[in-house]
Amino acid sequence: MTGRMRIDGQSIPFLEGQTVIQAAEDAGVHIPHLCYHPDYEANGSCKMCTCKINGRQVSSCTTKAADGMVVESNTEELNAERRALAQMLFVEGNHHCPSCEHSGNCVLQSQAYKLGMTALIFPDFTTGRKTDASHPDILLNRDRCIYCELCVRASRDADGKDIFCISGRSENKSLAVNSDSGLLRDSGLTVDDAAANVCPVGCIIKKHEAFTKPIGQRDYDARQVHHNKFSQPRLPKVIKEPGQKVTVATCSLAGCFGCHMSFLDIDERIIELAEKIQFDRSPLNDIKSITGPVDIGLIEGGVCNTENIETLRKFRDSCRILIAVGACAMSGGVPALRNGIDVRELLEESYINGIGVTSAQIPTDDELPYILEEVSPIHEVVKVDFFLPGCPPPADAFWHVLNNILDGRQPDLPYDLLHFD
Amino acid sequence: MNVDNSPVVLEQLAAYNRDPRMVLQMLRGIQLARNGIGQADIDALSSSLNLPRTKIRALIDFYSFLHVGSRGVYDVYFSDSITDHMLGSRERAKQLCDELGVELGIPAADGLVTVDLTSCTGLCERGPAILVNGIAIDRVDEVRVNEIARLIKNDVPLEDWPLEWFVINDALRRKGPLLSSNFRLGAGIERAIEIGPDGVIEDLKAAGLRGCGGAGFPTWRKWDICRNAGGDQHYVVCNADEGEPGTFKDRALLNGYIRMMVDGMTICGLTVGASQGYIYLRHEYEFLRPRLERRLQRRRDVNLLGRNILGHHGINFDIEVIMGAGSYVCGEESALIESMEGKRGIPRIRPPFPVTHGYRGRPTVVNNVETFAYAAGIIAEGPQFVAHDGTEPCWKLLSISGDCSAPGIFEVPLGTPLRDILEMCGADDVQAVQVGGPGGQLIAAHELDRNLSFDGCNTAGSFIVFNSSRDMLDVALNFTKFFMHESCGFCTPCRVGTKLMMNVATKIADGHGARLDIEQMERLHKLMTQASHCGLGQSAAVPILSTYHKFPDAVNKRMEDVEYKPAFDVEAAIERSRQIVAEEVNPS
Repeated sequence: MTGRMRIDGQSIPFLEGQTVIQAAEDAGVHIPHLCYHPDYEANGSCKMCTCKINGRQVSSCTTKAADGMVVESNTEELNAERRALAQMLFVEGNHHCPSCEHSGNCVLQSQAYKLGMTALIFPDFTTGRKTDASHPDILLNRDRCIYCELCVRASRDADGKDIFCISGRSENKSLAVNSDSGLLRDSGLTVDDAAANVCPVGCIIKKHEAFTKPIGQRDYDARQVHHNKFSQPRLPKVIKEPGQKVTVATCSLAGCFGCHMSFLDIDERIIELAEKIQFDRSPLNDIKSITGPVDIGLIEGGVCNTENIETLRKFRDSCRILIAVGACAMSGGVPALRNGIDVRELLEESYINGIGVTSAQIPTDDELPYILEEVSPIHEVVKVDFFLPGCPPPADAFWHVLNNILDGRQPDLPYDLLHFD
Repeated sequence: MNVDNSPVVLEQLAAYNRDPRMVLQMLRGIQLARNGIGQADIDALSSSLNLPRTKIRALIDFYSFLHVGSRGVYDVYFSDSITDHMLGSRERAKQLCDELGVELGIPAADGLVTVDLTSCTGLCERGPAILVNGIAIDRVDEVRVNEIARLIKNDVPLEDWPLEWFVINDALRRKGPLLSSNFRLGAGIERAIEIGPDGVIEDLKAAGLRGCGGAGFPTWRKWDICRNAGGDQHYVVCNADEGEPGTFKDRALLNGYIRMMVDGMTICGLTVGASQGYIYLRHEYEFLRPRLERRLQRRRDVNLLGRNILGHHGINFDIEVIMGAGSYVCGEESALIESMEGKRGIPRIRPPFPVTHGYRGRPTVVNNVETFAYAAGIIAEGPQFVAHDGTEPCWKLLSISGDCSAPGIFEVPLGTPLRDILEMCGADDVQAVQVGGPGGQLIAAHELDRNLSFDGCNTAGSFIVFNSSRDMLDVALNFTKFFMHESCGFCTPCRVGTKLMMNVATKIADGHGARLDIEQMERLHKLMTQASHCGLGQSAAVPILSTYHKFPDAVNKRMEDVEYKPAFDVEAAIERSRQIVAEEVNPS
């Protein structure tokens, strides 16, 4: 049966046996998806391609197109659900874009950009899945697996090797390698196999090829995709008496101050900004503690010790609008790579076994803050009003968002200013 | 590769004719024989069945009752259903652990015992219930725990434990047509042959029988679609994977009404043109299996199963029992079929439905135990078998447990008001009733005028009563945890959503809840309901949310009226650091 169906009001044709997503892609209508791939049998597990078809939500990759079918896809309701699915996948695994070799070429990341995902509203799961680096040419970083089963299908159907399989259930689900040792080395997987090239995220990656494409030229860097609705809580308006400046404070917790450096990259525009704002506590002016209530607080870095908690809470109490700046504040970032490692091991590595350590001793002075079992994003400790992602966020993003707020508008982030790395 | 096959493995391989599709059954056999599956067993199965090790391992990791490594001489599971909780199961589990000096879920170092928790074992009206080496024991009170601990410590074989512990009686509190039926063995089969498939379909239609497993699909239509589906072989599957917490009515049928169930399956086989039927029996009902097998054999002996049934040339139908291995999702018909085929129990993409593409890709009728039993009565006696004066056709078996003086099985006409049902089971001081299990409906006291109905207040059999002393948030937590544990993990919204839901629910229960958490719950609920692959994910967020809506006090009393409150616990987060500093200051 061939015929026509309507997707978001547009009439498109389909061929006998085609699914909704196949017909849509053929007609140039993009439906967000992760586990769907035109070369393989549909899996229907990621649910990213869920559309409202004849009034019911179903996966468009497993639903056959039918004459007269009415499909809604690019609606705010569905995109909000897809954004939540992307957020779920981000917190479920370790998707720290700044330290991922696949960043910029990652389908999950690009879908998140397109869907206007700027914050991880859910608490992070600590995964600690096993990484398999045994293969000379291919790395398997299970912490980044999203269970799309594309490698399973590719290995079975295209390569005829049946190397990958999904094991377990629920949160104990895992990607297993079919070899005597359970290691990739002994599996017969080669770099030319479809299975080695199909992973949409940074779970199965080729060694010796990391970061070969410079930033700006990667698969999803430059694409000007439609400006998607952007979802963050509405901010209160900053209203000032004439002649009064908006006050801004900035500080860093467990971070590298790279976000501050990026902020300074607004260059001479800082003069323009200084006409509108007055800096309170900030490393930029070396004021060490906040002097009074401020309008906007920018905070970078994650929460790694008790001092961070105290600083953060005080900062929160003093700021009307608190903006989490950068990957560390939003998800723990690079410092959070230690999560899952026992604190003693960390301390011994730093203070006893570290290179160049003399008079090795784990510090015990009462004055020193305790380090936390895990590095947390700041929104798990205090309420955050706005998230400015990036590692670091580009200078233009600072400029754009601050000016939005100063102009009394709800800030947004266009695609070219939104990145996680 | 040369592998020394152990006798246990050889026995399993022989029992299932080295059929790789039966690998799950073999794994279960090994697990029960040894309370664990060794690496050597996996190697042996892998080479004998020509299956990759990972696929075998994938099964073990999927099913709750399969384990790599030994669980000990005794493998004890306490049922973790809310009904068991209410009867003190958690305290009893702790007591047994203390007596034996073990930690919950961790095999004892000396290889003697593991004490663990499992999802509802279906002995809800007679809990706390346990499974020991796969066999059910009910009413495990303080005294019985002491005795069990003594028997285990003295290494007394299970065969020498008090016999009466293993006798599970069914409290049949109210009998309707099915529970009071007394047909001759095979009565329905004879009439089915007489009236033919068209007559069977007509009678089922006239009786208005709908699937009793929860979905309520008209039985005649299912059978009709299957018989009209093409192909050489059709199958009949009896879903005896009664896993919905609070449901135990199929247990009673599998105990006392095997005749009706098997008659129904056979009639279905004759009607849809199937010569092979299967009973997929949940692992927890292992104690029912030997008798079931004996009954099937007796039927073969009297020519009610097998070739040329009752002497009718060409009418062939036989039944095999296939066991589950611990997975709630397998109660969903397509996941059940996957499990029967020796795979992980992941619900299939539907359509196509099993009725046209089922077991081994062939048209398959999957019906619940109760549906087959009613069908047998309807065909034996005609549609009037299930007639009553009420508004909705047919009857329903209820398993009633919780806070009532007469828990047990009740056969009531559909359309009966909930209030009447509560009166029958001796429930007063009712705060709430959970109808249809964790994913069903939470009914508050002011709603008791509602009627039991497929299209309103529907249940596959679970009916749990809570009196005013119960904390409804605790109930919701138990249900939410159940869904998280049982999620098959296939689709994103359910796999991640159930865990997020558990996080929020725990946050609220711990007193860290705020308005934003309620908002997040609502959002998650909508997403999971709309986007999940099967009914589990679609209903997993229901318990906590309906508790919030119907019993707001249970939630609000643990919440402050603030917008945001972190779950972050500083003291817990620095506990490890403190400990290290203390160790450094005072080295032992």
